[in-house]
Formats: sequence, structure tokens, C-alpha cells
Amino acid sequence: MARKIRKGAEEAEVDMTPMLDIVFIMLIFFIVTATFVNERGLDVTRPDSDEPPPKSKAVTILVSISSSGIISMEGRDIDIRAVRANVERLIAENPDASVVVQADPESESNLLVGVMDQARLAGASGVSIAELQ
Amino acid sequence: MASRLAAKENDEAAVDMTPMLDIVFIMLIFFIVTATFVKQAGLEVIRPDAETAEDQRRVSILVAIGDGDTVWMDNKEVDVRAVRAGVEKLLAENPLGSVVIQADEKSKSGILMQVMDQIREAGAPATAIATKKD
Repeated sequence: MARKIRKGAEEAEVDMTPMLDIVFIMLIFFIVTATFVNERGLDVTRPDSDEPPPKSKAVTILVSISSSGIISMEGRDIDIRAVRANVERLIAENPDASVVVQADPESESNLLVGVMDQARLAGASGVSIAELQ
Repeated sequence: MASRLAAKENDEAAVDMTPMLDIVFIMLIFFIVTATFVKQAGLEVIRPDAETAEDQRRVSILVAIGDGDTVWMDNKEVDVRAVRAGVEKLLAENPLGSVVIQADEKSKSGILMQVMDQIREAGAPATAIATKKD
């Protein structure tokens, strides 16, 4: 009897097979469900419409897009490729200036993203989007 | 001699599984930790092109706007006014995740701004507009 117990202690090997099965199934599940999203995008800020605009001295550079897709700055209609040069010039005059893109609700978002991209290429730190009144 | 050696190896033919188990456990923990269950929008859109786009990290919620100004999230078409509630619900599951709007090239800016307002009201930490991949 005592010998039998000693023999049992010598062969004290836990059967790991069921645990291994579970671990492998969990591993396969997590590998299969792992979705690595690689999405590229532009970060945008949207001014809070409930709050009044801050009364700071910071100048805002306005770029507006009309419903038919015409881009205008400082009262002049310009081409989308000229946005960058214009924003660069205005930023050189006022380095603290922030850019606000005023888009008509009927304009295409392709154009909105294009204008934002041009403004960011010009070195604008934060580009925000507003609705054209 | 040869037969004795072979018989002895046969008797003790237990492969040491410990290193493999270590690797399997480390892989399991890695995949559990990195498992972010992304809520796909359920609509393929033609993204606009931009040069200054950055890779988005910690994306967990995708909202798509189709060219007919339809709003999709979590594989369902939703009303634009329902985006806030939907984003709030998904944010409760993953509070650190950021939101990406997949707006079609042909969609209107008005609906894009409405969706952005809804997402901001829902309290999302960051919002971005998806652009073409290189």
C-alpha cells in the first residue's frame, strides 16, 4: 500500500493535453479575429458651435468653398492648387494664424479634404472646419 | 548495439514540450492584448486623396458616409441623428478608441460636418477623416 503511494508520487505527471487543446483553440481564435486596422486620415477639429469664438488676437485665415465648388480666399476666387501658396503667405505674415475652412453644406467632401490637405502642406498647425453661413 | 539504442530511445520518446508551450502562451497573451474588436462601418467608400495624412492609431469605431449621403456604422445604415447614440454605445465598450469617418469623395460636406458634430457630442477623444492609402 505504502509502496503504491510512493510509486504514484514518482509518476506525478499531470496530463496537460486538455489544457493544451484549449490553449491552442484560444490562440487560433485570437489569431483569426485579430484585425489590424491600418487607416490613414487627417485629424480635424470642429469649432464648438455652442461656444462663442475666443476673443484672442490670433488671426484666422478663412478659406471658403461654395456649393458649386469654387474656392475663395480674401474675396478672390482661386484654384485649389493656389490655396497652399496663399496660406503660406498669410502664415508668413501671422505665424500664429489658424486656418478655418468654411465649406458650404452642398460642396463635395473631396474638395474639403483637398483644401485641408493644402492648408496643412502650407504649414498650418490646426485646420478646423466650419459651415459656410 | 544499434537495436539496443533504438529500443531505449523508443521507450523514452517524450518530446520536451516546454519551450513550445512558452511560445504558445506568449503568442496567446499577445493576441489577447492586441485584440481590438473594430466596429466596421459596413460600406466601402472611395476615399479622398491627401498628402499630409497620418496613420491612425487606436481606431475602434468607423463611420462611413456613402456618395448618396447615407451614413453607415456597425454594419447598419443609420440616420445621421442616430450617430451620437451609436458612437456613445461603442465608446462605452472601448473608451480609448478614436473615431474615423470614411467619407466618400462625392458625399456632401454638410453631412460630414453633421456626423462630426454628432461624434464630438458623443465625447470621442479624436476624430479623423479617412484618406487613400499609399
